[in-house]
Amino acid sequence: MVTTRRVPGRFPDTAPVPEVRYVRTVDSPNCTGACGWIATVKEDIIIDLKPAADYPDPEYNPRGCLRGMASTSLIYHPDRIQTPLIRVGQRGEGLWRESSWDEAMDLLAEKFKDISAKYGPESIVFFNQVIGTGNVQKGAQVRLASLFGASYATGYDYNGDISMGYTETVGIDSLESESAAWAEAKTLILWGANVLQTRMPDAKFVLKVQENGGKVIVIDPRASQSVKAADLWLPLIPGTDGILALGVARIILANGWIDSSFIRSFTDLPLLVRMDTGERLRASDLHLGKPDEFVAVLPTSLARGELDKTLRDAAQPFRFVPVSPESLDIEGVEQLALDGIYNVEIEGKPVTVRPAMALLREHLQQEQYSLNNVSQKTGLTPDSILELARSYAQNRPAQIIIGMGVNHRFHGDLVIRSILLLGALTGGFGKPGQSVDIYSGQHHVRFDISPWWYPDGKRPNVVSMHYVIMPEKSPTMNPKIHLPKDGFHALFFSHANIFTTSHVNEWRKIRDKLEFIVAVDYMKTPSTELADLVLPAPTFWEKHELVVTGPHPYIQIQQPVIPPRYQARSELWMMKELAKRLNPEWEAYFEMSAEEVIDYLLANGGPVSAGITLEALKKGPVRLNLPSPDVPLVENIEQRLPLPPRAYPHKEGAQREFLKTGRMEFYKEEESFRTSGEALPTYKEAYSHLSPEELRFPLTFMTPHAKWRVHSTHVNNPWLQNLNRKPVVEIHPQDAQTRQIKDGDLVELFNLYGSFQLWARVTQTIRSGALSVDHGWWSRYLAKGDYNNVLLPERVKTLQETYFLPAVYAPGQLWKDPRVEIRKVK
Amino acid sequence: MRLGLLVDLQRCIGCDTCTLACKQENGTPKDFFFARVLNMETGEFPQVKRSYLPVLCNHCSDAPCIRACPNKSIFKRPDGIVIIDQERCNGTGACVSACPYGNIYLNSEEQWYFPDDSPHEHYAKSRLENGKSKKCTYCAHRLDQALEPACVVSCPAGARIFGDFDDPNSKVAQHLLVQKEQTRREPFQLLAELGTDPSTRYLRPLSQMHSGGRGNAK
Repeated sequence: MVTTRRVPGRFPDTAPVPEVRYVRTVDSPNCTGACGWIATVKEDIIIDLKPAADYPDPEYNPRGCLRGMASTSLIYHPDRIQTPLIRVGQRGEGLWRESSWDEAMDLLAEKFKDISAKYGPESIVFFNQVIGTGNVQKGAQVRLASLFGASYATGYDYNGDISMGYTETVGIDSLESESAAWAEAKTLILWGANVLQTRMPDAKFVLKVQENGGKVIVIDPRASQSVKAADLWLPLIPGTDGILALGVARIILANGWIDSSFIRSFTDLPLLVRMDTGERLRASDLHLGKPDEFVAVLPTSLARGELDKTLRDAAQPFRFVPVSPESLDIEGVEQLALDGIYNVEIEGKPVTVRPAMALLREHLQQEQYSLNNVSQKTGLTPDSILELARSYAQNRPAQIIIGMGVNHRFHGDLVIRSILLLGALTGGFGKPGQSVDIYSGQHHVRFDISPWWYPDGKRPNVVSMHYVIMPEKSPTMNPKIHLPKDGFHALFFSHANIFTTSHVNEWRKIRDKLEFIVAVDYMKTPSTELADLVLPAPTFWEKHELVVTGPHPYIQIQQPVIPPRYQARSELWMMKELAKRLNPEWEAYFEMSAEEVIDYLLANGGPVSAGITLEALKKGPVRLNLPSPDVPLVENIEQRLPLPPRAYPHKEGAQREFLKTGRMEFYKEEESFRTSGEALPTYKEAYSHLSPEELRFPLTFMTPHAKWRVHSTHVNNPWLQNLNRKPVVEIHPQDAQTRQIKDGDLVELFNLYGSFQLWARVTQTIRSGALSVDHGWWSRYLAKGDYNNVLLPERVKTLQETYFLPAVYAPGQLWKDPRVEIRKVK
Repeated sequence: MRLGLLVDLQRCIGCDTCTLACKQENGTPKDFFFARVLNMETGEFPQVKRSYLPVLCNHCSDAPCIRACPNKSIFKRPDGIVIIDQERCNGTGACVSACPYGNIYLNSEEQWYFPDDSPHEHYAKSRLENGKSKKCTYCAHRLDQALEPACVVSCPAGARIFGDFDDPNSKVAQHLLVQKEQTRREPFQLLAELGTDPSTRYLRPLSQMHSGGRGNAK
């Protein structure tokens, strides 16, 4: 373990070994890695980092990546915030006065009280990023916001991590297998997911599929990092993933590669839809049962193999059966009709009804989903599309991993519903190496944290950040969301480069209306530079924390490797200091130490964390009480339990209102879906929501995650800068040539909303018509302009406002939807 | 005994963790990367291939650097590891020119990452002598304590396997045996035709990628 010997010369190093100590901890910058590290400390200085490699399942060892390995360059970076800072010049001028903690917290409390008195406590909005990385410390911020009655803006949906296609289909925002399970696949599809770059500690399991004789298919408009692993690369035209998926669905149906048993038990496809209203038939309509129950058709003759034919002969006996959302055990479930036209009477009027499956089949027979048309639209050969369909449906187990390349679009939900359809048609869920999973941020709340976050059951006023920054109020905002009547007047943001990483233009305007901006961070960032008060936090290496993630089932603690540097204090301490100044009675809510909070969280976390203690975690990672392997829906499928899986921290049953059938839903009956023509998964052109002015710009613009950063964390890490020196835009030689752009030229990207300058990288790895710039650069590294100012102004999809459940049902994001042009800078 | 490193290119994900694990372990100055990864793109869209090639000192049996050094400052240990003696080196740079793989680094005015002596960097600078020729040592100082090289223990993809090629029970020999049976792969060396006989060896990647693109149809 020890790195204290000098690199060898002619004679061995016989100097005495210095005193060192080793600390095992976990890094958690929101990459979902949650990797364990062993830090070597000599005289309170970290002199080495090595992966801990102590996960009980040896398949996981080691975890880690180049960024964790380079953490010492952030921990000891000259731009660390050393003391509380109070702004003296204009916002953004960079003029600060160092203050004591007392003065800083007095100022903070005074401002909050003042603004709250004038506009109400909900006019102050708290925002901390991806709370799965910080259940204790970030949880303390939520706790304070709850007591105070402040607003709390969810980061997960604002980031675009929320995968509404999942919420709309399975009633929860994502499904994530533990990554070791991927290796069991014989066919593994990376669909808009650059796993070799974005899930580095888990990527080995993708390559393992090939070592075991399986096949890897990569669907991506660029030859991303992951294309190294591809047996088949499908370089489709950006934004056409949805039509590819539905084309494959049609091929699967045409070939009969379906799992009828799965369809009947676990989806809404046998349930009858009324042709007059477009809503589902209710059992109460036929006096068969309750209004929250549905209806399916059970042929009463047990004719072998004829169950799916259209029942034209009125003599063919059948009956209607009620289907409850509380049970998957319907009588005769294995024989339910998946086709046919039936006539019923509802309140004396004749109504035609059909199983949703019949509507789906007809829908997919539209010419646009034919192989020929799909090939034209996607830019893929018919053979390769057939190969995708055949491999997925027949070469099993088959695993799909969906990434943000697909989700970060206005119509991302339609694409994801279409991909999930492939899983549902073929029964592709519930086994290791056979699931349809999506990995975004480290948002997952894997156990019940509400006793710590929501003291005495109080909650903050939760809003989607979209509504904080939208230029105009959304007329269809869900009525559960409450915006302060006089607007937002203060912002408290923590561990978020909020003004840089997205919606730069909107934030500029919003800042003018904010009287007070507070930043909590360990590093000086372009966002902290725009605050009025900056509070120095510790890095992940200087505090206690409790960390969970989606891609693996382990819970781990962070321990302070060294004490907080400079004047940094933990976020928990900050909240205690603020609490007692706002209301002396609130100090009692923050009396526990961070270690005590860890035990408190675990003890009150419900069945998933039951029995796990801080003492155990001090020895290393502990597996949460989850199925083994941790594959989504395995319990639902094996034990025939209705969907959805529970989304913590929401109460049991909170998700029922948007998954009324208790099954995977491919027919959405709500009016908002029907009037949009999206009741069934359908294809909409990715840019169809853009205005004619926005569409004038011909090039699509992608912003994939880079391996050199975690979002914008590490952008100023000199070790990483030594490997990746400047921001470039990837451009195909044809597009470069028509614009007289050569490799290395200074170029400008622009559209209606802004422009920025950087350097061209002419490459064959991207298709013509598309540009790509790695996500997460700070503007100071560009030649000119702000990186994200070409993004489309914030807008939300109306049907994603039909319900609201924070971080589960809320509008997504459209980072990949802007259109731009590029020119050489003279 | 023939100590060596095996890089299984099937497993490599091109992440560069090895690159920085080496830097963390050895405290190398700016632009010095004893271990690094070549990131290659070949072909024309849509028939584009990506591959990664991690490289580091090959600890050659017949090392051109040893022969080139006018000061006899480079020597080979009995276990095969080639070491540049940091005290003896005069910084002539003959080894840098002689190495056909470009794996030796020399800069009489070494640059560092932080303007002042940040605590971690201050410690890092104590690992190697300033202004001397330097390269990968297969972490000989760790091997002498029965620890594997830093890049090997840090690779999250399990792509680096170290050990005695001559010992059938070593990790590296075992891995080769399994791969020969399971994936029919035999190890190769870089620039084998030069006769340097490297101790660093490779197994090729498995995927035979084909692309489904229709050219540049819009």
